[in-house]
Amino acid sequence: MLIIENIRLALSAIGINKMRSFLTMLGIIIGISSVIAITAIGSSIQGVVNKQFESVGKGAVILYVNWSMIDGYVPSEASFTMDDLEKFRREFKDELRYADPYVTEVSTVRVGDIEKKMYVYGRDVGYDRMMNMNIIYGRMLNEAEVAGARPRIVLDAPSAVALFGTENAVGGTVELTLEGETKDYTVVGVYKEEETIFTQMNTSENVTGIVPYTLMPMQADNTLYFYTFVDDTLNISEVGTQMANWLVRLKGMPEGYYIYEAAAEQQGAMNEVLSMLSIAIGIIAGISLLVGGIGIMNIMLVSVTERTREIGIRKSLGARTGDILFQFLIESMIVSAMGGLLGTGLGMLIAALGMGAVGVEFSMNPMVVVVAVGFSAIIGMFFGIYPARRAAKMDPIEALRYE
Amino acid sequence: MSEIIRLQGVSKTYDTGKIQVQALKPLDLLVEQGEYVAIMGSSGSGKSTLMNILGCLDRPTEGQYFLAGEDVSKKNDNELSLIRNQKIGFVFQSFNLIPRTSALKNVELPMVYAKVPARKREARARELLEKVGLGQRTDHMPNEISGGQKQRVAIARALANQPPIIFADEPTGNLDSKSSVEIMEIFTKLNREEGNTVVLVTHEPDIAEFADRILTFKDGCVVSDRRKNASAGCGEVEKPC
Ligand SMILES: Nc1ncnc2c1ncn2[C@@H]1O[C@H](COP(=O)(O)OP(=O)(O)OP(=O)(O)O)[C@@H](O)[C@H]1O
Ligand SMILES: [Mg+2]
Repeated sequence: MLIIENIRLALSAIGINKMRSFLTMLGIIIGISSVIAITAIGSSIQGVVNKQFESVGKGAVILYVNWSMIDGYVPSEASFTMDDLEKFRREFKDELRYADPYVTEVSTVRVGDIEKKMYVYGRDVGYDRMMNMNIIYGRMLNEAEVAGARPRIVLDAPSAVALFGTENAVGGTVELTLEGETKDYTVVGVYKEEETIFTQMNTSENVTGIVPYTLMPMQADNTLYFYTFVDDTLNISEVGTQMANWLVRLKGMPEGYYIYEAAAEQQGAMNEVLSMLSIAIGIIAGISLLVGGIGIMNIMLVSVTERTREIGIRKSLGARTGDILFQFLIESMIVSAMGGLLGTGLGMLIAALGMGAVGVEFSMNPMVVVVAVGFSAIIGMFFGIYPARRAAKMDPIEALRYE
Repeated sequence: MSEIIRLQGVSKTYDTGKIQVQALKPLDLLVEQGEYVAIMGSSGSGKSTLMNILGCLDRPTEGQYFLAGEDVSKKNDNELSLIRNQKIGFVFQSFNLIPRTSALKNVELPMVYAKVPARKREARARELLEKVGLGQRTDHMPNEISGGQKQRVAIARALANQPPIIFADEPTGNLDSKSSVEIMEIFTKLNREEGNTVVLVTHEPDIAEFADRILTFKDGCVVSDRRKNASAGCGEVEKPC
């Protein structure tokens, strides 16, 4: 009952001095809004980063020559052959879920009168499963096509549209030159990439296609990379190190000649950077909340002094120490909580605008609002204790005499 | 009649650091339930000092104060708050209404601290304002009503928890003679009809004449204690200071 009364009192006290109340809240507003904006931006970016790494595929590991060990040129005995790939696959058959020699070529593609530059990737069977590719028409390359180096191609949806005017290009033929050989390739499938900030940025005219890696034998027999997927339940770093070391022994190269790079590790590093950024901003926000709290204490002290007479009247009418304490505590809590609410709104606005500007979907847990307002109220309570105690301990007759 | 106020050797000394002022010299006083007492005396004679002690707003330096049989001088702050809330209605010269708070809310205040439910509180506050002739002014703010009306609100507020005793320190001090008479009529009515014990301070003899008993102060002493109804047997008692 007294709670409702005190809340009403606090609201009217805040309403009487609107400008002053607002200025009092400012520190809290700034502190809370920066926390909210940063956590919102951070979690949105994290979402994008995670999605991006997912688009690389879980468990992706690239093995390659350690360039820092190379002086000038790579000796031919250092590069991998298709034979090496077979040995590698056999050796790591338990760990590996996929491996290809990472061959790619930019070449000219023709369909009737249309001629475009195409990024052609040579892949093995099962690549689509590793990448969670969304095949919308037809199918992915099959075993026979890879083993037999058959001229088959899988296009991404925008390329299919660019070349055939329709996403459903299955059965169509493209003329493609790979490693100097021009052939007609039959389209067996079309896939669609999920839109991300990067696919949106890609506005180039060029098209993309996937063919059996066996169609680029010169590259595949002389590659510096293995593009692999490792069982993601395993310790990626451990497996990566094992594989790199095994390749060193296979090729008779000095220690550390081959290294690996794992998407999962990069993702971890990226998240670490993000969380460190959050901590830094958190500290700044903490300081501004501290300053905000001190501001509240300051204004509450002024308010208590201004209302000394009122406190005397209340005491003369039977208010106890606790009643007065409670009244002023509630007031400082409400001022602070209102600041927290405004700060949350402002922070979300900043985050939404910022995210909108770079075209990233804005995501935030609604519980954040509750936590922010609750936390602000606690700050208000903490910094309100001293002024409220001062009010509560006033001697009634001295308070009444106060001019 | 039973006693409601008993002072035994109550004195008050203000310690201002450099000098000590004995505003109230050791005083014995007895007031019975239902009495109507006026306290007179020149400025600085200690009237307000006594009223503040009687109203449990201040504590005596020495002596004992029994209010309705209880030794008030031994109570702690919160117990005194409870006594002020339940037993005493205090009316001030300067009204002491809470600013920017409606007449109704001002009257409700003692009931808020007595934890009376909101609806009951409001009904009683309206009834009290009606009683002091302010039924039409319940929603007015203190700065929107006259001095006499403010004092009526203050009286209504003092009556909120139906206290047996009303203390008033120069309740008509800031009012013109017409409003003063109206306010005094309210006190008289409370004393006569509701049986409240009323103790008030005044400078004006014609205001004091409303009361049945007049105490006169001089330099912290009661120099005269006169009962108008001489048939009660006491008459005027002159006391040496
Ligand atoms: N808080 C105080 N500190 C020091 N001295 C005080 C204080 N309050 C009152 N006094 C002194 O005590 C004496 C009595 O004061 P009190 O207020 O009781 O007089 P009063 O009879 O009410 O006068 P008035 O008719 O002017 O209101 C005065 O000399 C006054 O200066
Ligand atoms: Mg006085």
